[in-house]
Amino acid sequence: MSSVSEAALVSRPPSKRHKSVRKNSRRIYSPYRDNQPGHSDDEDKEDDRVESTDPEEMFQNIQFQKEIIANIRTRPWPMRRKLKALKQAREIVLQYEGRLTRTRGYQAAGADLLKKVSRLLYNIVVLFIPWEMRIKKIESHFGSGVASYFIFLRWLFGINIVLSIMTGAFIVLPELLAGAPFGTTRSKTIPKEHLEHAQDLDTIWSLGGYLQYSVLFYGYYGRVRKIGSAGYRLPLAYFLVGMAVFAYSFIILLRKMAKNSRLSLASASDENFTFCWRVFCAWDYLIGNLEAAESKGAAIVNNIREAIVEEQEKKKDTSLAVLISLRILANILVLLSLAGSIYIIYFVVDRSQKLEQEKPELTLWEKNEVSVVVSLITMIAPSAFELVSQLEMYHPRTSLRWQLARVLVLYLGNLYSLIIALLDKVNIMSSAVHGVPANWSDPSAFMATISQPGEENLSTLVSLSGHRNITLATIVMVLDNSTKSTMTTTYNHTGLPEKNTRSQQDPCWETYVGQEMLKLSIIDMIFTVASILLIDFIRGLVVRYLSDCCCWDLESKFPEYGEFKIAENVLHLIYNQGMIWMGAFFSPCLPAFNVMKLIGLMYLRSWAVLTCNVPHQQVFRASRSNNFYLAMLLFMLFLCMLPTVFAIVRYRPSQHCGPFSGQDKIYDIISDTISNDFPLWFSKVMNYVTSPVVVLPGLLLLFMLIYYLQAIARSLKFTNNQLRQQLQTERTEDKKKVVQLAAARLQAPETAVEKKSDQQESDITSRESSIRTPSPRHNGSVTNFQSPVRRGNSIRTITQSASRADLNRSSVAGPSRSPTVSILQKQRLEHVPNRHPSYLGGPSGTCRSKSYHQGAYIPPARYPENIHTDPLYRKTIRPIHPAEAAGIITAQSYVSRRPPSTRYVIVNEHEARKKLLRSATRVPRHFRMEDPGEILELYPRNVKRYTPRTPHHHHAHRAHPSQPHLSEEEEEEEEEEAAAGKSVRRGALGQTLRPHSLSDLHQPTRFYIGERADSQLSMAKDSHSSRGRFSTQQQGEEERAEGDWEDVGSRSGSQINVRGAEVPPAAVRRHTQSPGKQAQISPHFQGPVKPKTSRTKLEPSLTESDSASLASSSDQQNSSTDQYIQVIHNKERYLKSEARHGKMVKKKSKASIDLNVSASKDLMCSNV
Amino acid sequence: MGTTASQLRKDVLSEYQELTFLTKQEILLAHKRFCELLSKEERNHSNSRVPMDKILTIPELKSNPFRKRICQVFSTSDIKDGSLTFEDFLDLLSAFSDSATLEIKSHYAFRIFDFDDDGTLDGGDLEKLVNCLTGETDETRLTPEEMRQLINNILEESDIDKDGTVNLSEFQHVISRSPDFVSSFKIVL
Repeated sequence: MSSVSEAALVSRPPSKRHKSVRKNSRRIYSPYRDNQPGHSDDEDKEDDRVESTDPEEMFQNIQFQKEIIANIRTRPWPMRRKLKALKQAREIVLQYEGRLTRTRGYQAAGADLLKKVSRLLYNIVVLFIPWEMRIKKIESHFGSGVASYFIFLRWLFGINIVLSIMTGAFIVLPELLAGAPFGTTRSKTIPKEHLEHAQDLDTIWSLGGYLQYSVLFYGYYGRVRKIGSAGYRLPLAYFLVGMAVFAYSFIILLRKMAKNSRLSLASASDENFTFCWRVFCAWDYLIGNLEAAESKGAAIVNNIREAIVEEQEKKKDTSLAVLISLRILANILVLLSLAGSIYIIYFVVDRSQKLEQEKPELTLWEKNEVSVVVSLITMIAPSAFELVSQLEMYHPRTSLRWQLARVLVLYLGNLYSLIIALLDKVNIMSSAVHGVPANWSDPSAFMATISQPGEENLSTLVSLSGHRNITLATIVMVLDNSTKSTMTTTYNHTGLPEKNTRSQQDPCWETYVGQEMLKLSIIDMIFTVASILLIDFIRGLVVRYLSDCCCWDLESKFPEYGEFKIAENVLHLIYNQGMIWMGAFFSPCLPAFNVMKLIGLMYLRSWAVLTCNVPHQQVFRASRSNNFYLAMLLFMLFLCMLPTVFAIVRYRPSQHCGPFSGQDKIYDIISDTISNDFPLWFSKVMNYVTSPVVVLPGLLLLFMLIYYLQAIARSLKFTNNQLRQQLQTERTEDKKKVVQLAAARLQAPETAVEKKSDQQESDITSRESSIRTPSPRHNGSVTNFQSPVRRGNSIRTITQSASRADLNRSSVAGPSRSPTVSILQKQRLEHVPNRHPSYLGGPSGTCRSKSYHQGAYIPPARYPENIHTDPLYRKTIRPIHPAEAAGIITAQSYVSRRPPSTRYVIVNEHEARKKLLRSATRVPRHFRMEDPGEILELYPRNVKRYTPRTPHHHHAHRAHPSQPHLSEEEEEEEEEEAAAGKSVRRGALGQTLRPHSLSDLHQPTRFYIGERADSQLSMAKDSHSSRGRFSTQQQGEEERAEGDWEDVGSRSGSQINVRGAEVPPAAVRRHTQSPGKQAQISPHFQGPVKPKTSRTKLEPSLTESDSASLASSSDQQNSSTDQYIQVIHNKERYLKSEARHGKMVKKKSKASIDLNVSASKDLMCSNV
Repeated sequence: MGTTASQLRKDVLSEYQELTFLTKQEILLAHKRFCELLSKEERNHSNSRVPMDKILTIPELKSNPFRKRICQVFSTSDIKDGSLTFEDFLDLLSAFSDSATLEIKSHYAFRIFDFDDDGTLDGGDLEKLVNCLTGETDETRLTPEEMRQLINNILEESDIDKDGTVNLSEFQHVISRSPDFVSSFKIVL
């Protein structure tokens, strides 16, 4: 924008300008307005009010309004506007709802109430989402990446709550309430020899003593089939809940994943928009912390640079051999450390087992070494992997993935080696049982080993083992201390005779596994807390407070602040959850423990993150819609379920503890229940169902189903891909087609004409196509540009100078511009005296002369400070340019150049008029700045010249308040067409024949005709009366104007324009449209000499453009719509946006009406 | 601040809930935060404006490279100075809230990136955008060569109709494919 427009802007009332600008911007930025035009705009508002009393229609309207109310928040409008729309919609609803039937009213009221309640509920629910504020705070400091960790944590917390409710409600509570109380049965009693240590800290610590014989572990639960007065089947419940934990976890995970993948469309085409995403989606708007912002900025820069470098040199070949060998080395190191960690765990488990068997008293370390070692490995190994990965010199993203994969493998390896070692131990235990299947069923032995009720178990066992060494099995009958009614038999077996005394009592392997898992979880928690405190907090403190008294910068060099490594922390959470899943069956309280652990972790982590962490440099972007974590979690769940299920299926349950004691397999509980507690037919049915006859076909069916669904998915994927490709090609094809059509239009009408300025043509088309989308501000300023006061002048001067220039050009016909200019000045000087006395008087005369002078100076001087010389100058250029191109042929080339630009537009859209205006208004900006001498400038200038004038007419003469802006616009556009048509005519006439009225003149004729063509066009719009008037006037002028042609031209032109505008728009339309009337009019101007050929040549082009504009306007039907319009219909793709733009333009012009009212008088007096 | 929070009338509050993606608590919090930016006497006026530099002092916007653009886009001020009324402020928070749709987010993102407000992202807009992201210092700023390459690549990817600029629908097309846009285009108080 030049300073000129700035000045013009200042002179206008600011409020109005703002209004128009805002409207413009609103229009451009409201994509919804086409869908529901009624509610997006104030003046259209009235249309929505239903006038009919038809209840159905009314109901529909109300529904429509309600829809608006419901969806209004999704509109990108400013609040004030939304409020207004809402109020209006509500008003309508209120107003019309009463008229409808009563039931509908009730319905509506009910719906309203429901909505209110739901909103209230939503508010409450939001209030109860745990840690919402905390997470948001973190989010606003560190961005979504860090927050995603906490959200994930919270989600896990939710899962664990459900799991612990399941176990708590169905296992733990019934056992506590209705089960046999502590100490009543053997499995619930602490053995005598352990009793004195049962409350020692180290026993409790290693989950022995009272803890071991509590609801925490499997062993405590009784084997009684039904407990309590209600007959709760605890063993069955135990088994079912154990399975339900896995089932629930699977379902919830899969559902979440499915939901996420539905959210993210990215999976299919991920690498398509690398650059765009890196720029458009780079910034995390949540970041509110300066440090985080800095590191984020650095990361973005790196990211962008990386992308550029990658693009620049797709291949890097720096010492490939070294790199490969380094990577191999790194992988070997990682594998070694993985194997080492697995071996260490196995070794430790083995050792602890041996120690347990050999030493009577274990130290604290010996009891906990397994979990400590595992936790240490999980802590240290990831850092080691990170060090190793520096060797590899991968791209950071790749290395992060490698790192994650390795850590995941490590965690899994740890868990697996632990559980395998444990199960190995279990195996040893139960294999001993299998060795003696016959003995424990021996009735004599059973009877012989009945011990006295009051006796201590231990002594019984010892005495029994004394004389039954060889059988290795003792059958102990434990009697209840208080009542003799319930007798439970528990089978105990011992491995070797020498170990009888110690290992006899509780080889309850389920409890043992549960203990180990819980221990591991506790130790892991302790290590996490310790690492947070030590590595993050203490380090942060040291760095913060000792950095002053240290020789290097602690904050930026060695210790730095701890980074929050999202990926590793998430993996740690997953690992933790894996432990829970693994142990949940053997220790029903593990989920509840995990809930507490997660709560603690949440608070501690969030505190640590906020106080002493900086975000990870390599930001691992994990959005909520990212399934990466969930996929890992699912993987973990599956792998953790395997050992548990394996243990359940493979191993025999402990014989004297737990709910399944006495059974051969744990899952026997199901078949037992079915056979005992269900009616006979059910067990029969189950028998049939589980028989191979049913199962095998069922499996086959499932396989078939899977195959079928997969095939469908594959074909859908295929079609998806194809559609995408089609879409892509269509987009490019569309574009190409438009260009081709435009090119075809260029060539078709002017086949006879030489293509002299091909380059310029293509230039025009390309420019025009590039200008397709307008800018609100520029449009606004273009219209704003003209100050009302000077308008009268500028209009005049434009036409004058134009004609003058024509004259000059033809007289000079020089190939270069500068000579033309100089001569032009001279000629003008000649003309000045002539003109003043003959035609002008009073204020208008001075006015004219003034502008005239300006016009004279324009080409060389360009008067940058003068506003109305600007349009003038453009106008003069136009004639000059053909002069440059030299001669008559240039006029032709000119012809060939001008219409295409308009026609191209017509081809493009339905609403050609909008396009016309748009392109017209857009062009000046580009050209004015870049190259003011360009010919194209004229075209836009026309618009500028006309826009202010037309509003004036409307205000002066029109009594049509309803459609001022519309008709205004039409006019504008007709002026546009007139401009185009003028050039056509000028060229054509200039070449073929000269009208007789001008033939007696010398050179200027040709361009004078051009001007007359212009006036003729405007005249075509005129009504009959004005036509007559005009013709007489014109004749008179012609008579007088022998010596001074250009003045006549200018004057008649302006007059005609004024009058033409006086006519109501409909009339104007019809006149322009009908060639017949034009033919009628034309003789007045062009005389009979004018050949028919040139007429026919001219008219089509005119009507075409007219019809295009008419087709777009709703009020008129045009008979002369031809193929162009049909072409347009195919381009519906553009319609929406174009319509929007068009409306915007409409607004703009309306605004200009308001502004130009004051100037109307000025113009009138100067013209008439 | 309790008194200022209660200043919001019930019907207005429910209207705001209707018109934004915010919950009641969030609106009240926003009102509280907004009132903190106002001086004592201004609080009594219903639609007093907070100038842009004051808005930019809130920590949620302070380190955002697009903070000025955000204010300008959401401002309904007559003189385009980026000052915000409470309603504008709510608009801002609504567009940046959790539950705002992708469409509305991408729409506003487009406007924020459209530095010259001309309805398209052209080369100049993109350059400014990248400069905002990279910062003004010499070592982070891209060289002209890099910039040219980057802009070419962006246009190559996103400019479907090959007119040299990215318009709103093209922008939304690109953005809708991005996995993290919705989660990162957020501002929470």
